[in-house]
Amino acid sequence: MGAKTLVCRCEDVSLLDLEEAYKEGFRDMESLKRYTGYATGFCQGKGCQAHVARFLSQKSGGDDKVTNPTRTRPLLHPTPVAMFARAGEPELIDVTRLEADTQKPQTGEDAE
Amino acid sequence: MGRRINFLDDHPFDRGRKVRFQFEKQEISGYDREPLAAALIASGVRVFGRSIKYHRPRGPHCMRAHCSSCLMQVDGMPNVRSCQTMCREGMSVERQGGWPGSQWDVYRTVDWMTPKTLEHHGMFTQSAVINRAAMRVVRSLSGLGMAADVATAGRLDAQVGFSRVKPDVVVIGAGVSGLAAALAVAESGFQVLVIEREGLPGGRLLDGSVQFTGDGAEILSGWDAWRRIRPAWDERPQIQLHAETTALAVFLEQHIQVLACGSSDCMEILPKRLIVCTGAYEQGLVYPGNDLPGIFGLRALDRLVFRYGVVPGEPMIIVGESDQALRLALMMAEQGVRLGGVVTQRCDGELVHRLMGRNIALYQGRKLVRAHGGRGIQRLELDSQEQLDCRALGIDAPSSPAYELLHQAGCDVTFRSESGFMLISDDEGRTRRPHVFAAGRCTGTMPLEEARLQGERAGLACVQSLKSARIQTRASSSR
Repeated sequence: MGAKTLVCRCEDVSLLDLEEAYKEGFRDMESLKRYTGYATGFCQGKGCQAHVARFLSQKSGGDDKVTNPTRTRPLLHPTPVAMFARAGEPELIDVTRLEADTQKPQTGEDAE
Repeated sequence: MGRRINFLDDHPFDRGRKVRFQFEKQEISGYDREPLAAALIASGVRVFGRSIKYHRPRGPHCMRAHCSSCLMQVDGMPNVRSCQTMCREGMSVERQGGWPGSQWDVYRTVDWMTPKTLEHHGMFTQSAVINRAAMRVVRSLSGLGMAADVATAGRLDAQVGFSRVKPDVVVIGAGVSGLAAALAVAESGFQVLVIEREGLPGGRLLDGSVQFTGDGAEILSGWDAWRRIRPAWDERPQIQLHAETTALAVFLEQHIQVLACGSSDCMEILPKRLIVCTGAYEQGLVYPGNDLPGIFGLRALDRLVFRYGVVPGEPMIIVGESDQALRLALMMAEQGVRLGGVVTQRCDGELVHRLMGRNIALYQGRKLVRAHGGRGIQRLELDSQEQLDCRALGIDAPSSPAYELLHQAGCDVTFRSESGFMLISDDEGRTRRPHVFAAGRCTGTMPLEEARLQGERAGLACVQSLKSARIQTRASSSR
């Protein structure tokens, strides 16, 4: 009892689960996530992403083999759906356009 | 098991007035500026809920809204983080997960019957009929809490307001780097909106056991440094702080767009520049039994004992190598907390000698291999086969940078075994995307002083970029 070594406490994914999944051929962050469910819980991977990456780095022989965490998607925190119902259309007048650094500035940008 | 102790003399926080509330069939007292988790631990509660699959007991672990171990049902609302919810007079709190309840949970047998793992991928897949029946059973056994009724769920919707703001700069995270960045921006007269998930700005300075080297090489306690920084912060009209507000998403398509949500209002922020100072998440270690209630991150334990005055259990054991870990152990002992020992690789240094001077058992060069217990930690096993009596464990492990916001928005990250994924930015905090900066521990492990310098540099670079855009705009409109 209590012998399980948990890597992801939100979804009860253990080190053994990762080992088994690796043997099955799930050998990258994304497919391991899809198979075991790590990082899909309430905390969205804050406590397990680094552990799993370390696991893969050890298995595959180096940090440079683990280039990216799993795809991060918004929203990053549980949010009431009502927020979006109230949001309406975005209002994008008088807002700095992101190309401003690389392109010729246009009149009206960064208006004060 | 848990108990309250006196605050340290220089304790700078207000815990508010005493309130009483209902926890299942018990009446419990707490303070209205103290989180529910602290009040429950002080009253001896160890099991806060049950885990999603094996129904293993869960109790608070991070104390700062990073994990999922303290979720409870509060006034009918499920999945509420009890480490972030302040006690309220007359509130009603229940645990979630388990039958007939979380304390005694029949479903825990699932964990015992599958001592290695419950391999669910191929279970009940032979027949569609059996599969449907099995799904119904599994759905009732597993998962998080559910809303008590439709009216409760509707109440949550009714609370949400929505606003749209356009500051010059938004800083996400009011830790040491975020504070420095915001101050640098405000000093130049630009409007800066600061988003902070917690109730107070300050980040690591709010830890009781941290030390900070201030200007002129003066060594301050985190709390002293915090006290000194507060006036500069409060006096700047250009800085607007939104505490208890979490940044949910950053979109960098044609504009910088940040979505943030507090407990009762959400915001769409459209700033000219963005500085991300989200810091890092405290991590645990990987060993059998690492999820038992009573096991905390080092900083979580610091917060519980020094900020809220609640000792979760004794004897307490600290595992770690950092100065902060050793200093925390020493401070605990000085506060009268019964220490079971300190497990560390450190053999020398002033802190080690001071611990020895207090006759605190040092397990030097040993490693933690397993935690034993039922509804909470009871015993620690070391690689030397020593068994240590333990009711509260503080684990000091390298933090993992909070890279998500900008990774989601398309900025680059890199991986290092010691700490995890981190954002990539240059010396002045610039990321790959124009107008977007990152500083502090979201870009890698660093001491407080370095986090402050990075924040300051990112703030100054941001000001530079705003000023040059202003000049360009003037030039082009006069042309």
